[in-house]
Amino acid sequence: VTVHLGRWLSTVPLRLRGFVGRRRLDRDLDEELAYHVDCRTEHFLRSGLTAREARERAERELGGGIGVREQVRDTWAMGWIDTSIQDVRYAIRVLARSPGFAAVAVVTIALGVGANTAMFSLVDGVLLRPLPFPEPGRLVHVTGSYPQGGLAMLRERSRTMDVASYAAGHDFNMTGLGMPVRLGGASVSAEFFSVLGVDAAVGRTFMPGEDLAGRDALVVLSHALWQQQFGSDPHIIGRSIMLDGVSREVVGVMPAGFRFPSAGTQLWTPLHIDSSRTDTYWAGDYMPLIGRLRPGRTLAEAGAEARLLQSRLRPLFPWPMPPEWNADLRATTLKEAVVGDVRTRLLLLLGAVGLVLGIACANVANLLLSRGATRQGEIGLRVALGAAPVRIVRQLLTESLILAGLGAGAGLMAGSGGLRVLRATLPPDTPRLAEVSLDWRTVAFAAALAVMAAALFGLAPALHAVRSTVTDGLKSSTRGTSATGGRLRRTMVVSEVALAAMLVVASGVLIRSFWNLSQVEPGFRTERLLTLRVSPNQTACAVRDRCVSLHRALGAGIAALPGFENAAFINTLPLDGRIAKRSVVIQDFVLERNAAEPLFWLNTISPGYFDVMGIAVRQGRAFTDADAAGAAPVAIVTAATAQRFWPGQEAVGKRLKLVGQDMWHTVVGVVSDVRAYDLQHDLPPWIHGMLYVPYGPASVLEDGSLPVAVTLVVRTAVDQQVASEMVRQAVARVDRDASVSEVSAIADVVSEAAAAPRSTMLLFVLFAALAVGLGMTGIYGVLSFLVSRRAREIGIRVALGARRRDVLRLVVGEGAAWALLGIVAGLGCALALTRLLAGELYGVSATDPLSFVAAGLLLFTVTFAACYLPARRALRVDPVLVLRAE
Amino acid sequence: VSKPPALVQGTLDLLLLKILALEPLHGVAIGQRLMQVSEDVLQVSDGSLYPALHKLEQEGWIRAEWRTSDNNRRAKYYSLTRYGRRALERETREWHRLSTAISSVLKLEEA
Repeated sequence: VTVHLGRWLSTVPLRLRGFVGRRRLDRDLDEELAYHVDCRTEHFLRSGLTAREARERAERELGGGIGVREQVRDTWAMGWIDTSIQDVRYAIRVLARSPGFAAVAVVTIALGVGANTAMFSLVDGVLLRPLPFPEPGRLVHVTGSYPQGGLAMLRERSRTMDVASYAAGHDFNMTGLGMPVRLGGASVSAEFFSVLGVDAAVGRTFMPGEDLAGRDALVVLSHALWQQQFGSDPHIIGRSIMLDGVSREVVGVMPAGFRFPSAGTQLWTPLHIDSSRTDTYWAGDYMPLIGRLRPGRTLAEAGAEARLLQSRLRPLFPWPMPPEWNADLRATTLKEAVVGDVRTRLLLLLGAVGLVLGIACANVANLLLSRGATRQGEIGLRVALGAAPVRIVRQLLTESLILAGLGAGAGLMAGSGGLRVLRATLPPDTPRLAEVSLDWRTVAFAAALAVMAAALFGLAPALHAVRSTVTDGLKSSTRGTSATGGRLRRTMVVSEVALAAMLVVASGVLIRSFWNLSQVEPGFRTERLLTLRVSPNQTACAVRDRCVSLHRALGAGIAALPGFENAAFINTLPLDGRIAKRSVVIQDFVLERNAAEPLFWLNTISPGYFDVMGIAVRQGRAFTDADAAGAAPVAIVTAATAQRFWPGQEAVGKRLKLVGQDMWHTVVGVVSDVRAYDLQHDLPPWIHGMLYVPYGPASVLEDGSLPVAVTLVVRTAVDQQVASEMVRQAVARVDRDASVSEVSAIADVVSEAAAAPRSTMLLFVLFAALAVGLGMTGIYGVLSFLVSRRAREIGIRVALGARRRDVLRLVVGEGAAWALLGIVAGLGCALALTRLLAGELYGVSATDPLSFVAAGLLLFTVTFAACYLPARRALRVDPVLVLRAE
Repeated sequence: VSKPPALVQGTLDLLLLKILALEPLHGVAIGQRLMQVSEDVLQVSDGSLYPALHKLEQEGWIRAEWRTSDNNRRAKYYSLTRYGRRALERETREWHRLSTAISSVLKLEEA
């Protein structure tokens, strides 16, 4: 049969040409026949005929050529189309005759294809597709982050690329159009848009020099913002809008699909580059650097140049920069920088869902095998009537293809639902999530999967069906399955169980990891705490004292609401993703040679913060109102910070100061640690300590400004929806221009911090459940089939006095043996494969013994149950009936 | 000239395969070679030669390619594939079996 198949495959190109390249075949045939006529004409000429007679004779011999052409064309058509149509017709008839079988097979394939299609479109949209910019391959990201001074130097000196930069997360209050609105914005260098290669849809983007202080009262709007807030006003260009109390002129509107740096960016303002202000120029926002390679330049050249310029940049800083700063600088593609973080996670999920498809295929293959056995009579008859084995294999494969096609169609529909589930499950900050959609690439993928699946589950059973028929001929005992069938079936079941076991183990490890993560004590109270971001206009804080009293009034106004207890505020809430940092000089602390001043996480808080958050004061005291008023500069550090910088000493009374300031702050207290950066870590490794200072005229952020937007924390039992509205009104009463955003329970902030591991875990569990479900039906189906096959044998055994227990053991024993083999194989593979998960795990090893044991037990129980049901049926076999049937 | 006997159904394929097993040839040459080897006994009409060749190509037993012929023109040459070679062996065996059987029947002495 394989010989036939090889021969058949070798003619596929020719047959395909008969199907699509007909014109060329016709031309070839014309030429071939013309040559024939010419040769024969010559022949007759030589035998003495005139030129005309010779040609006429030659043409007559060929029957005028028309009949020959028709016959040859028939051969081409017969080769491909006719038999295909026959096959399809026959296949549909056969499948329609057993709708139950067809339905189970189609649903199984649909599940496998659907899950894979959804996952593929996600991977395609996020990882595979180029970024939506012109010549995306020439876009570069330089690792590390740079202050304005760094950007200015690099964009002037770089010869390999055009350089741009941006500071994401610059949010603005837009006022003057009804209620103040909080808008997500990005401050960008003038070249930002030209480097990305995207022009405005309306108006223009920024021009060189417009990011310098004094010329930068401009703004570019996103398409969505233009539509929603300005009703797509065609005369928007040139209008001024109030952003944070500053009037900015709208110069352009971007095209609809443009969403960089993030999907939440609604407007772009120019960076305010001011080389005369040392603090903002060298210590303000540290920004990522992007670039577009100039013609003929390569990524490697850009990287080398960036490293060179970096070494020249370091001495330009007004203070010594540590040699480690950006020491491992690299240039990568921009896409790598955008999606690099999620690649592993998505690929793991894709791998997992691929295993599910494998199980689905094994299942359908088993179904086909069992069916093949019951169809032996039919196939044998066709062979006896002269059908070539290759023809029958082709026929059976057509059936598989039709099943796969139906399954893929249903799977595509399931996939669009699945994609919705995926999008809802994945954390919303997953890069490029908004770009993901089902399209022709997905359809092509599903089609390819269907063909592959059909080959995978159809070929072996088809070959087996034909081979066993050919050897058995029409002897047709419908009893006793042949040895190869048994082996195939066993292989399928064992590999199904093994694949499912791998997924269950992976889920187990991820569940353990997530459990550990959810047991992490964040270090603050998580019940009955409402948090919200209050952002007055930047201009409201031009006068420091006014700003401080405004915030105090805001806090007091909210705390006075009915149902609200005490309120406090902080510049950046733990776990909310924002980081305020500042270099700190510690009195009498000896730095290592060449080391820079330690970098501290800087919290600016109102005096009641520790109390509201339930953070324990370990030593000394909390802040008082007098501290906030600025009586004497004070500070509070966390326990870990005290331990790090003053080990074995009393921290209270020590002094430190913020780099760039002259006053020394005295440490008045030590508080317990909180998980501020993420649930896994208190602080990122590049931050050395955590510091609290009271919110007052003297508390400043890294760029020297007073924090304007703060996060309020309120104890309240009021329902979140109601509370949110009450708070908005209370804030509006104090400051009409202040916007309120990010209203949420603090428990949600904490659970948000575990969003990525949770989504990975949930999806793995989902896939594992699917795998176990499919695996179970697989085992169940096979054993049911075997029981019905062996009814006679079981009947004889019962007649000879076998007890119920013996019969049960006979059937269950066989299934259980396969299951055990599968579980052992699966656990073995998992041992090698779960290592891939290592980066996603917290507090549990990738080869966690508990997960392995639990997965093994779970699978054994489940498969045992799947074996038991068919075994029960075996018990009902009535020996009298069975034996009489002989 | 007596009309050459019609070829037994199916034997044309066998003959074509055999001739092409010797060397690749184009259509006209195949017809000539057949006549020549069989000393004018076996003659295939031009009208059935080409459909037969194309059918064999569809079966994957022979393959066609354009080459320059002796008289410096482009002609379509047919040659045997490895599947064709196997088919030839099989068909030849089958033919021998059949013809032996027929001969032994014909050799029966009438009583």
